[in-house]
Amino acid sequence: MRRYAIMAVIALVVVWGWLCAFAWFDPLVFCRIHIDVELLEGDRGPIRDAIALVRREDPPAYRALCRWVDRIQEERQCDAGDPQADPRLRGQSAIAPSAVDPALIRAREAPGCYVRGSRTIVLRRPPEGGGGAGLVRVRAEALKRLAANSRAFWIGRVR
Amino acid sequence: MLGQPAEGRNTRWARRAVLGVVVAVAVVTMVRYFVWWDVGARCVIGMRPSLVGYDNTTIKRALATLQSGSPEDYRKVCAHVATINPNPSCGGFGGGCFWHSEGNRGRASIDVSTEHGLIWTVAIIVHETCHAIQYHEGRPPWFDLEHECYGEDDRILRALVQFE
Repeated sequence: MRRYAIMAVIALVVVWGWLCAFAWFDPLVFCRIHIDVELLEGDRGPIRDAIALVRREDPPAYRALCRWVDRIQEERQCDAGDPQADPRLRGQSAIAPSAVDPALIRAREAPGCYVRGSRTIVLRRPPEGGGGAGLVRVRAEALKRLAANSRAFWIGRVR
Repeated sequence: MLGQPAEGRNTRWARRAVLGVVVAVAVVTMVRYFVWWDVGARCVIGMRPSLVGYDNTTIKRALATLQSGSPEDYRKVCAHVATINPNPSCGGFGGGCFWHSEGNRGRASIDVSTEHGLIWTVAIIVHETCHAIQYHEGRPPWFDLEHECYGEDDRILRALVQFE
């Protein structure tokens, strides 16, 4: 009996570790959001901090995040268009920002974006040394807004 | 001696059970990583193994995103693409490729690198599907093939990426 109890505890620890290692996991509200970061330069910590801030400050937004988002992905930037579509810019390795559609620049500078048709939020990777409380605050606000976008997409689709 | 037939039966059952588990694991792995299967839309797309460590599930998430976010583009992918190769090809890391070959006369094979995540994977699938459509429609050689397809991936990015 004791042997089975030990095995059960070990299994529980392994499962718990697996659920937590690559994600935000909050078993009390059945919330698990996978967090994808770059293998070498990525850090899940600030993303977890931003989610924790949302949970603390805005419970309805946290519920929306848990319900309508299943993955947060850290990327270099959000691309809301392809500059190569403009024949003048095609094939250029370095494109001057002034030549690019301002909407694309705004998307690249945004803290994050939501991909319609998915439950994925993309967060922009912070610049070198750009972490800290300021980053957590900006990301928390972005998560609230983008979770609302996901909710709006999926609810609108059901109607 | 008397126990032998029962022992043999048990061994046979154990072998069958092990075989069953192995087959089940193989089927689940196959379906999870190498096949996109949408029964409702009668859409089956094979995926080749990824050799550079990026997860084939990115391709599946990209197809699921198109399915819900842009059903018209999803239908085009299902109609014109049979196989997706998730490995970097002539488009390099973060790019894609379509080969104008005899093998692609029917539903085609497209190369789609997944290195830049979900957004670009969706865009590259739409871009390469555009080339497959051009090829299947027998567009004349002087047709500006790239211009149309860059326009297509630009369109899908603008339609799906919401940042404000």
